[in-house]
Amino acid sequence: MGRIKKKGTAGQAKNFITRTQAVRKLQISLPDFRKLCIWKGIYPREPRSKKKASKSSSASTTFYYTKDIQYLLHEPLLQKFREQKTLEKKISKALGRGDAHDASRLERNASRPEKTGRTKYTLDHVIRERYPTFTDALRDLDDCLSMLFLFANLPSTDTVPAKMIARCERLCLEFEHYLIMSNSLRKSFLSIKGIYYQATIQGQDILWLVPYRFNQRVTGDVDFRIMGTFVEFYQTLLGFVNFRLYTSVGLVYPPKFDKNRDDQGAELGAFSLEGNGVGAIEQPKQITNGENSKPDPKLQAEIDKLMSQLNQPEKEAEHEPQTSQTLVEGDEEEQPTDTIDKFEPAAPGGDILLQPSYSATDPSTLFSNFTFFLSRETPRQPLEFILKAFGCKRIGWDAVLGDGAYTHNELDPSITHQVVDRPPIQVDPEAAEQIEDNQTAQKLTPGSRVPGRIYIQPQWIWDSVNDEELKRPDLYGPGAQLPPHLSPFVKKVRGQYDPSAPLNEQEREDEELEADSDMEEDISGDDDMAVQQPKLLTAIEVDATAEGMDIAGSEDDESEDADVVDNEDDDFGGFSDGFSDAEDEDEDETADSALQRQRELEAELTGVALEEKVANPKADAKKKAAKRAKEEDEELERAKMMMSRKKRKILEKMVYSNKKKDGEAEVLRAKRRKIEKSGKGAPRA
Amino acid sequence: MAPSAIDRKRKSVPAEHNETLESDVESEAEFGDGLLEGILSQSESEGSDEESNAEEDSDEEELELDALEALDSDEIPSEDSGSESEEPVGGLVKSNGTKTAVVALREKPLPDEEEDKPNYTITTDANGGERYVYEEIDPVYDSDDSDAPITTNTIGDIPLSFYDSYPHIGYDINGKKIMRPAKGEALDALLDSIDIPKGWTGLTDPATGKPLNLSQDELEILRRIQTNEMPEGGYDPYPATVEYFTGIEEIMPLSAAPEPKRRFLPSKHEAKRVMKIVRAIREGRIMPYRPPGERQEEEEETHYDIWQDEVPRPDHIMNIPAPKIAPPGYDLSYNPPPEYLPTKAEKQAWETADPEDREKEYLPTSYGSLRKVPGYEKFINERFERSLDLYLAPRVRKNRLNIDPASLLPKLPRPEELKPFPTVCSTLFRGHEGRVRSLAIDPSGVWLASGGDDGTVRVWELLTGRQIWSAKIGDDEGVNVVRWRPGRDAVILSAAAGEDVYLLVPPIVDPETDAASRELLDKGFGHATNATQALTANGARKEPVAKWTRPGSRLEDEGVLIKITLRTTVKVISWHRRGDFFSTVSPTAQKSAVAIHTLSKHLTQIPFRRLPGIAQTVQFHPSRPLFFVATQRTIRSYDLQKQELVKIIQPGARWISSFDIHPGGDNLIVGSYDRRLLWHDLDLSTRPYKTMRFHQKAIRAVKYHKGGFPLFADASDDGSLQIFHGKVVSDMMENAQIVPVKVLKGHRVKSNLGVLDIDWHPREPWCVSAGADGTCRLWC
Repeated sequence: MGRIKKKGTAGQAKNFITRTQAVRKLQISLPDFRKLCIWKGIYPREPRSKKKASKSSSASTTFYYTKDIQYLLHEPLLQKFREQKTLEKKISKALGRGDAHDASRLERNASRPEKTGRTKYTLDHVIRERYPTFTDALRDLDDCLSMLFLFANLPSTDTVPAKMIARCERLCLEFEHYLIMSNSLRKSFLSIKGIYYQATIQGQDILWLVPYRFNQRVTGDVDFRIMGTFVEFYQTLLGFVNFRLYTSVGLVYPPKFDKNRDDQGAELGAFSLEGNGVGAIEQPKQITNGENSKPDPKLQAEIDKLMSQLNQPEKEAEHEPQTSQTLVEGDEEEQPTDTIDKFEPAAPGGDILLQPSYSATDPSTLFSNFTFFLSRETPRQPLEFILKAFGCKRIGWDAVLGDGAYTHNELDPSITHQVVDRPPIQVDPEAAEQIEDNQTAQKLTPGSRVPGRIYIQPQWIWDSVNDEELKRPDLYGPGAQLPPHLSPFVKKVRGQYDPSAPLNEQEREDEELEADSDMEEDISGDDDMAVQQPKLLTAIEVDATAEGMDIAGSEDDESEDADVVDNEDDDFGGFSDGFSDAEDEDEDETADSALQRQRELEAELTGVALEEKVANPKADAKKKAAKRAKEEDEELERAKMMMSRKKRKILEKMVYSNKKKDGEAEVLRAKRRKIEKSGKGAPRA
Repeated sequence: MAPSAIDRKRKSVPAEHNETLESDVESEAEFGDGLLEGILSQSESEGSDEESNAEEDSDEEELELDALEALDSDEIPSEDSGSESEEPVGGLVKSNGTKTAVVALREKPLPDEEEDKPNYTITTDANGGERYVYEEIDPVYDSDDSDAPITTNTIGDIPLSFYDSYPHIGYDINGKKIMRPAKGEALDALLDSIDIPKGWTGLTDPATGKPLNLSQDELEILRRIQTNEMPEGGYDPYPATVEYFTGIEEIMPLSAAPEPKRRFLPSKHEAKRVMKIVRAIREGRIMPYRPPGERQEEEEETHYDIWQDEVPRPDHIMNIPAPKIAPPGYDLSYNPPPEYLPTKAEKQAWETADPEDREKEYLPTSYGSLRKVPGYEKFINERFERSLDLYLAPRVRKNRLNIDPASLLPKLPRPEELKPFPTVCSTLFRGHEGRVRSLAIDPSGVWLASGGDDGTVRVWELLTGRQIWSAKIGDDEGVNVVRWRPGRDAVILSAAAGEDVYLLVPPIVDPETDAASRELLDKGFGHATNATQALTANGARKEPVAKWTRPGSRLEDEGVLIKITLRTTVKVISWHRRGDFFSTVSPTAQKSAVAIHTLSKHLTQIPFRRLPGIAQTVQFHPSRPLFFVATQRTIRSYDLQKQELVKIIQPGARWISSFDIHPGGDNLIVGSYDRRLLWHDLDLSTRPYKTMRFHQKAIRAVKYHKGGFPLFADASDDGSLQIFHGKVVSDMMENAQIVPVKVLKGHRVKSNLGVLDIDWHPREPWCVSAGADGTCRLWC
């Protein structure tokens, strides 16, 4: 017999350690432990069996992985924490002695990041450990960016020093500069919380949220020490990420920062990028089809027209997707290109591989030909960023919006688009004339527009960016009711509601019918519980007493059914059970026909001609659907009986959640149907 | 000591000054510390007895010194020297608070000049007598409040600019206008012509409106204050120490000890410390001087490519990356499609709900245009929650089954493929009063026998439901069980009512079979008498376990031929396949619960002396000489030839109600009162292969189809029968396939009893059921 194993020496008991034990093992205070956990990315675990993992009788709540804590034991930051602690002790001792001078001297040595925004230690090694590769860092950048953008917009308080805010702002602006430079911003979304941006850097999708420029409401239940710890780490991370990104496109990091311009509100304009001389600043090109990088769409259209007039077949060949065959055949496309070729299956039967998507337009050229002017009431910072990120080079704005504009003159003739966000003012023409008399020609009257430029609301830019094409500007004119702004991040899932698709495409076949009947019921004020049966049931009762027919009710009323059976004599031949589906349907039909006959008899008695019974296709469809549903239900029930309890639980959970989702989608569809019927609602783009 | 000095002063002050001076002194007492000593000496110096004053002064000085030492104050020591040198402006220098007061004091029409005159004039009154007319006494209203400056201008605390348009700048205490001092261009021109007097500042005294002149000394003081020096000139911050003990040898020394050597040698320890600092300065560790503020600017974080030599780390199974925040949906848009906007009811529900109970933390809102979008209130809170989640929330890897739930369902053959099985009730057998306890279809499949609580045994024609024959065998007890003897050679029905087991030959068959049956029953009478009874210990003949007798002529006429009387109520009869043996179970009996009867010998044996539990039911194995006995919890199989226990089957049910053996002999179904139906594969394990719990109430009976169809059925107290397809494959490696095919409902539940017994047709896929509602039903 082997040695008896001691309890608590292996497995879960050894793999997990409670928080108290961890803190005691590291010999640090709880706030320091918290800091370490945040920086090192150590998080609690959920052991499979809490009982086995905890050694004490009382239930522990937080467990850490023991290896994580052991790994913390060798952390250089621990030593820093201890040094800080002894220093604090010295300071308090000096203060206790009343030795203010000594205390202040020691105080100067102490790092007070919450006051100065600087620390005595660096977190470089932590960054390196947590993100062994640059891709890892990019993958984790979501929270970092959201947090730093929030802090860049916070008011400075004693817990959030102004230096920290300034640094966050600088880092964020530097990152934005990189995005503009590399055209890696992909999507953006105006939500009620703020503006979401999505960029794709080295194949990693990064999504972050920037609040609107309002004073943030700070409530008491937010602990800024915890947030500050995160911010400290994220600042270091974004600094290194920015460095890497800048150097990767041949720029010097940090870029030159002009304090004067920043004071004048130039924001993005306060930075001036310069190449590092190692390599020419090359803009990373997007994967394009070659055709898309053409300078002017209008010019291209004309050339196309000419070409089509000259030789029809040649043009077709050119516009075909470049398959390998066309490459071989085409004379003028011999030279190798760096674009990706499209693979199409030559023979059926092979697997289909995913290929990089061809974006319809190059994001760097979407707005490149336009000059924008931002009106006073529009948010300048997000507009400037998104326009620049999508290739716009010339953005002017009103002088009150700050420095750094291409032009402050609203009447600049080069402006092609003006972003306005104010209701149109109906100006009395006479009054307008008067005003014009009074004013110099430089100023524009409130209601008037400059001819030859497109006036749009800000949403036009966002919708154009998300759809990668310029939207119709007339839908977005000043004061127009805007089409709904849709999130570009929602993935289209079959069965889920999609507001951009027409309603009849995504409905179930019988949904409209149901909805209609519901509506009818609503009108008649019926209870919708027993939709199919109530009238028939009464008919059955009548018939059973009158003619002694062999009928059974529906499945719903068994007791009644049994009573009917009992009341019958020993009339075996005509007996039917009422539990087989096929028969059940017959039952309904017999009842129906019985009802019909009863009506006929009554009509004969009274001498009134019976109107022809109108075949109701809706009712038929409904009946059929009900029958099918019932069959499916029974089948499902049978199959469920044979599953193990565990599997059945899983199945039930899945069915529940699916049903919930379907229900939500159905509610949305119903709402939309109602809206469409009533005929109001904004036009859909 | 200061008060005593003041007392002294008081004595020396002339009586006439008493009022004014005393008030001053008192106010000084308030200031304490003798700040205003100079003033007193000044005013006194103007007095008549100067010499004595001078003496007093010197005296004061001495005393003052003591006081100062005691008070240990910085400012005072300079006073003595200052008071002499700065006599003219002494008042100004001393203290700001009392400056004006002193000035006022000096500017007063001094009473000193008039002090020799009497303060009254003598006139004659109306009567011609002398009348002293006293001068008005100056009350000195401000005597109590020396803090407040003596107001010469009574306009109060309003700016002088209010009087800009008037020639005067206010009123004095007597209501006379105070005229504006000369000002303006003429004056300017004059001023320009003459050079600026010494001490001219260009400032205006706010109280008087006159130009404020500062003397050279005052300017000097201002300079010293600006340069952070002591305002008093000539103050030595580091005076030479006053040695208490001097190097002069005392005549009477305090200590006789000789002077120690260390007094004369330079300290090594100090030298060490100094050298340490010197070295540090030389090495540059200590900067001799660094202005404050430079410290903060110095550090600028350095950036470098931290991922220069990046090596991807293989993912560890315990590393769970934080989940990303879900991307925003359509309803989060500032201008969502109108169907995402909540209705009034939804909105209200959201608002009334507790913040924790809300499904979404926001309410979809349409703002119409971007300028109307407000800031999001909970932005910081949500960010904070996320931070907390990142470091505080336990992470678990959860496998989300992202599959179609239909794929989880087992692939069952369609019921149509499993046909035939009973689906409808085709025949109803009515006639029993009270419950039908038991029923059985005869081996030929033509008749159905049933027995009920009314004590009758009835035989029905199966297909038509017509009752052919009935006999009342139980007088007051119901018939608990009816079973046909297997085999086609004879038609014998066994029935149990109370303690008696009856063997019947119903008159329903052709005479030959009838005769054969009767002969088969009567054959054993001789055996029974010949058999030797076992002897008990005391030699007496043991009472037989059962008595085989004729039931009496009335019953004999009806076809009941043999009556076997046992000791307790018989609940179960089970026939051996050959038809010579049958076994009965009477659960209430202690030892003789299970009895095996031999038909050919009219013999009854008790095979078990003791049973571990209450026997419930028994079965003979369909092909081998095995005998199964079910107690409450277990089923035991015994080999009848070797007379030993073969196997104990443990279905895990609390109370077994019935069981049946598959005609193949290797499988077993068990029904239990705790609603379970268990399938045992005898080769596989003693534990059930499948447990099925589809009934709401107890299962009363289970039965395999014995005629070649892979069917079995159970009957339950919930009034339903469930038909299963249970295919047993001859291949050892494959398990039985069990598929539920049909639930048959029709029997009514009466006093919590539903279907009490069930039997299959020997050849067809039909089954019959006995209900507590007094009917039997044929399902096909």
